Amino acid sequence: MPPGSSPKDEPVNQEQFERALLEIKAGKEDIRPSDVVIFSEPLRSTLNRAVRIGRISLTEFAKELEVERERAREIVELLIKRNLLRVSSFSNDKETFYETRLSAMTRPLGRPPSDIFKKLDD
Amino acid sequence: MSKIVSVHSFRGGTGKSNTTANLAALLAMGGARVGVVDTDIQSPGIHILFNLDESEMVHSLNDYLWGKCGIKDTAHDVTGHLGTQVKGQVFLIPSSIKAGEIARILREGYDVGLLNDGFRDVVTELGLDYLLIDTHPGLNEETLLSIAISDVLVVIMRPDQQDYQGTAVTVDVARKLDVPKMMMLVNKIPSAFDLDDVRARVEQTYKVKVIAALPHSDEMMTLASSGIFSLKYPDSIVTKGLKAVADEISG
Repeated sequence: MPPGSSPKDEPVNQEQFERALLEIKAGKEDIRPSDVVIFSEPLRSTLNRAVRIGRISLTEFAKELEVERERAREIVELLIKRNLLRVSSFSNDKETFYETRLSAMTRPLGRPPSDIFKKLDD
Repeated sequence: MSKIVSVHSFRGGTGKSNTTANLAALLAMGGARVGVVDTDIQSPGIHILFNLDESEMVHSLNDYLWGKCGIKDTAHDVTGHLGTQVKGQVFLIPSSIKAGEIARILREGYDVGLLNDGFRDVVTELGLDYLLIDTHPGLNEETLLSIAISDVLVVIMRPDQQDYQGTAVTVDVARKLDVPKMMMLVNKIPSAFDLDDVRARVEQTYKVKVIAALPHSDEMMTLASSGIFSLKYPDSIVTKGLKAVADEISG
């Protein structure tokens, strides 16, 4: 039994872990703010806090998600692939820190039929 | 510790930019260094309240988003435009008011993540106590980002049925984004309404504290965005309400 877990907690945490994996794997593009809003708990609040502070450690991430470090690392790897997290230069042998960055291009909202606005500026 | 404050309304015409400009001035009157970002890229306007002429705009937020300059280069010190009561400093990051540049943003979009980086960088680079974000009405990725990284959210609404419904959406989303401090301001209340009654009704509806319930102001309309209301009318009931919001932000 890994440290910090108990048989009583295990089924709940397993469910949370699998749900978090599924939700993150559901998309391939960069994670947008609107993605975070629809993530389930505790993934949503964990990411909200990390985004607001701008940085989170693997230990904090595991604690807030209520999963073991190795499981937290699996989730983190997916979040790195979707460009929400990147490994921080503050990381050391004992702890890995991640910086957060909500990203993604906004979709173009509309295309004028001609370049009339540039002509107006000129 | 610096604070990022988003000022948002679901619908346009609520007095969002006017409120943002006044809050910036009131916070700066207390000696704070305040940044104001106009993220209403599609319909910018807050620069008018600070009397920043287009000819004075060296760089805009658009330039930063297109990689033409750093975020600090877009900050214009507008403290001198506010008069002698302001002990601190106010920096405005305007959005471009060139039609072609607005069209380019609409056409091409931009990386929302750059706003994320820019907000954090400008707070550090200018040593700001507060960064106020004047958001675009409604909800889009930019607005969600602003709310997501804010320490404080000020939601503005009018006592109008359309505002009531839309504001519920904003409050719901803000709760999902775990904003640490959310407050409301009800603006432009017609004289036929009882201010305390409106305040109580809004608080009951959204379960969010209403810091100020402000009456419609003819003086505000007459000023017509040609300056900062709270500096010109320091004894007005509107100014007192805005001061209460500024105090709540700084508290």
